[in-house]
Amino acid sequence: MSEHDKVRELLALAAAGALTAAEEKQVAEHVRLCVSCSNELDAWRPIATELRRLPTPQPSSWLLQATLARAEAKLAGEAEHVWNRQVVIFVVTLAWLQTIASWPVFDFVSPYFGSLLGPQFGHTWIGFAAFTALGWLAGGVAAVMLAVRQRGAGRLA
Amino acid sequence: MAVDADVARLRRGDLNALSELIARYQNRLYRYLLRMVRQPAEAEDLFQQTWLKVAEKVRSFDVTRNFDAWLFTLARNLAIDHLRRVRPQSLDEPLADNGDCATVAGRIPSRDYTPLDTALAVERRTHIDEAMAALPMIYREALTLRFEDGMKIEEIAQVIEVPVSTVKSRLRRSLEQLRSALAGQYGEARR
Repeated sequence: MSEHDKVRELLALAAAGALTAAEEKQVAEHVRLCVSCSNELDAWRPIATELRRLPTPQPSSWLLQATLARAEAKLAGEAEHVWNRQVVIFVVTLAWLQTIASWPVFDFVSPYFGSLLGPQFGHTWIGFAAFTALGWLAGGVAAVMLAVRQRGAGRLA
Repeated sequence: MAVDADVARLRRGDLNALSELIARYQNRLYRYLLRMVRQPAEAEDLFQQTWLKVAEKVRSFDVTRNFDAWLFTLARNLAIDHLRRVRPQSLDEPLADNGDCATVAGRIPSRDYTPLDTALAVERRTHIDEAMAALPMIYREALTLRFEDGMKIEEIAQVIEVPVSTVKSRLRRSLEQLRSALAGQYGEARR
């Protein structure tokens, strides 16, 4: 492809201001010497100018207000979602820490309570597992009830 | 205030930042969507959906990225999903005229002052608007982002997620097709 043909292909982009510095220099040097390309570039310019002058359509004020209201509600919902997630992570971490911490305590005091409650209460690990399971079950039920209640409130809002 | 500061405030849940960003981008975003889908009602719906998406995703927005490009990419993806659902053929081929004689340009109030200027301006806008509307979606998009929105080629490449060379190629082809369509107004179309 000759220099002339290469520059010819760049002329539309030159009018669009979409050339690199090197390409711009190449075009500028060529059109100084080539009348045909100079005329071609002149033909592209009014199209580019008219495109830049096209009026901008304006969104209605109703659209802006409605968009803002919906986006604000969404943003608030997202913030609440993030907060709830952080709370759940905190509570679950705390529950695990408490469970692990209660393990040696339970192990330490169970012989004393066992002797008070009777000779059959020697199964430390079964008691501990039951205690843990009950705690988690209660926590799970509470979380489900809260979620159901929140969803109901969200639908009403 | 800079866009970056508004975006940072929005990420912290500041509702005023949301209002300021909508005000800042309202015209550019609406124009882009209108150019993409051509129907004002659809553009309005997509405008709302785009800002809802912003509210949903802004916390995961990478602050090192260009917010303009991120916003327009969200809008573009929504518009393409919409077109794929409603008018799949419009993604590859020029949209058929829907019979509505009033073009987008024709609906925009003129700011010219003399009757002659007004008449010429309306005619000019109508010609360009019709010629643009007849182009395939990817070419309308390249023209509006470059000329109406004033985006750099690199920014357009980020928005439409293609290489810079592809953006240049689309821009050149869109201009050539537009020039052919406008040949009657600007003289002989030469290639």
